[in-house]
Amino acid sequence: MTEDPNVTQSDPMAVVDDAPGKVSLARQLSARPQIVLIAVLVVMILVTGVIEPNYLSVAGVRNSVLFAVPIGILAAGQTILMLTGGIDLSIAMIATASAYVAANQSPEGAAIAIVLGLLVGIAAGTANGIGVGVFRVNPLIMTLAMSGILLGLFTGWATTIFAGSKRMHDFIITLGRDTFFGGSVPWAAVVWAGVALVVLLVLRRTGYGRNLYALGDNAIAARLSGTRAWQVLVVAYALSGLLGAIAGLLLGGRVGAVDLQLASLFLLPSVAAAVIGGTSIFGGVGTYTGTILGALILGVLQSMLTFLNTGQAVQQVIYGLIVVGLSWMYTKLAASQ
Amino acid sequence: MTSADTTTEPTGRSFATLKRWGQRHGWTLGVWILLVVLVVWYSTLIPKFGGFQVTNIINGGTSWIFLAAAQAVVVIAGGIDLGVGGLLVLTSVTGARLMDGQPFGVILIIAIGIVLAAALINGIVGWVITASKVPDIVITLGSLYIYQGLALMILPKVGGGSSDTFRWLFTGSATGIGTNPWPAMVMIAIPMLIVSWWMGRTRSGLSLYALGSDSNAAFLSGVSAKRTKITAYAVGGALCAVAGFSSLAISGVGNATTEGGNLTLNSVAAIVLGGVALTGGIGSLVAVVPAALILFFFNPILSALGVNPNQAQVVQGVLIVIVMMVAGLIEWRRRRRS
Repeated sequence: MTEDPNVTQSDPMAVVDDAPGKVSLARQLSARPQIVLIAVLVVMILVTGVIEPNYLSVAGVRNSVLFAVPIGILAAGQTILMLTGGIDLSIAMIATASAYVAANQSPEGAAIAIVLGLLVGIAAGTANGIGVGVFRVNPLIMTLAMSGILLGLFTGWATTIFAGSKRMHDFIITLGRDTFFGGSVPWAAVVWAGVALVVLLVLRRTGYGRNLYALGDNAIAARLSGTRAWQVLVVAYALSGLLGAIAGLLLGGRVGAVDLQLASLFLLPSVAAAVIGGTSIFGGVGTYTGTILGALILGVLQSMLTFLNTGQAVQQVIYGLIVVGLSWMYTKLAASQ
Repeated sequence: MTSADTTTEPTGRSFATLKRWGQRHGWTLGVWILLVVLVVWYSTLIPKFGGFQVTNIINGGTSWIFLAAAQAVVVIAGGIDLGVGGLLVLTSVTGARLMDGQPFGVILIIAIGIVLAAALINGIVGWVITASKVPDIVITLGSLYIYQGLALMILPKVGGGSSDTFRWLFTGSATGIGTNPWPAMVMIAIPMLIVSWWMGRTRSGLSLYALGSDSNAAFLSGVSAKRTKITAYAVGGALCAVAGFSSLAISGVGNATTEGGNLTLNSVAAIVLGGVALTGGIGSLVAVVPAALILFFFNPILSALGVNPNQAQVVQGVLIVIVMMVAGLIEWRRRRRS
């Protein structure tokens, strides 16, 4: 028995002694898997540039970023929830709902439209949070049901109380579609940058962020050390709803009008971006930096597939293969750490 | 302990047995009772309740049942398969493309081939999960995309077809509309009985439960996690193919633009209502079959009540949440008492 600690202690040393030359690169990569994501991103940008030389320009990169913005903002919600071991399958429908309300209120002015749109997101998210946090409904089921409820409500309302209110306020359209600095920087990217800064700060620098990680890592330990799980969860789902609403407003602004399918195509990419970025779906592991890289990779992928002019069928297959391949690679790297 | 047992009256003991049986199978019994109540209630809602209505519900529910069974097999083994809806679409359009205009004998061979191919392709998904150690939900999110894309490649436009005999097998008529529910019932019952028997009575079937409830304990008692998971996904894939055939038989044509994701979500809702724990290891098809039928049944009931489809969707969502909250409450009380 007394010998055992010595044996286990000498183990890591033995590994280092084994291959002193090879360790540095492999170690560094596994310690910082995000370097690999950045490499993948760069390679994909270059490949896209080979396919379409015009892509390597301000306009080309801008288009990829515009693709990535809604994915990145929605994926922020998924990242926060995945850290707690949850997921939000209603986030795309929340985005659509917020855009509808904002379009409906647009005649009242931009401020009212935006505030009411965001409130819709917070309300739906809070309802999710109460279901998951207080009543312990499985997050998949709760958010799935919420998505169905919202879809039903807004399909009905689209032809009644929201009939005719399809056009967004000009200010929201500017945010979603326009650029500044001679067309190089989209306003939507600025909004994303702001959102990203807040999310990164909350996750890294606040006690609430640490609570999220703690809860996802070990719910019992978190409870014993004084975390009130239900409060953390309700706030997390409300935040996810708010982020969904922000993405919905930007999407509505980009399209200029709203319809029921506005954000539905972005649901699975939002999960994929967080997963590619290394966030564990079981909770406790992940960063928003990784998710941002994941969203950018998906944005560049979208540009590449557009240039390749493949049909929707090939696009979906490639999309699926990328999700599987990148998450496989990431897991392998993390396991070798 | 034993003396106390022997001194209790026979009625008391049989009551205790009944209570224990109720605790073990209460959920299954509840789901079946709910289904019967809904059928009786529905029959009073509409002016004429006969073979036509029964056939419609059974036929429409067939693909829901098979998809929920596919999901249940995988979830009981500790996974989750978001790709089932995509695989339904893929197998149904492949069938529509290959079966169109063929004699029944050839169609039968094609059908068996598609079932085996679906089992193989989904088994590969299971292998990727075990080899990569990436969570099931992520890999199957990818497979959902891949299946849906492949389906679009195979049948870019709505079309294809099957044969009258094939449609009769799943719907009881050559046109997909009729008053004969028996073929569909047999087509549901036989595979469900086989899979139920396999899951409850064979070594490989029971290892699904072992793996799903505790993968370490399963490993220590000699269950191969890799083989079990691949088997679960392969069986799930085969069941998806049958679901795909059923939807092909009802509509008569293949449609690759059907949203597989929504079908997957229905299957998850159905197994949860059917008492399958999403954490794995708990559940049986005996309760999943009526649960899937109940979920499909909501639509005709609500339309009979004069609720429009949009409101029906809201009601359905609210009901699922309420059921889950009640189930959570029961579970919480039980855990607090013990």
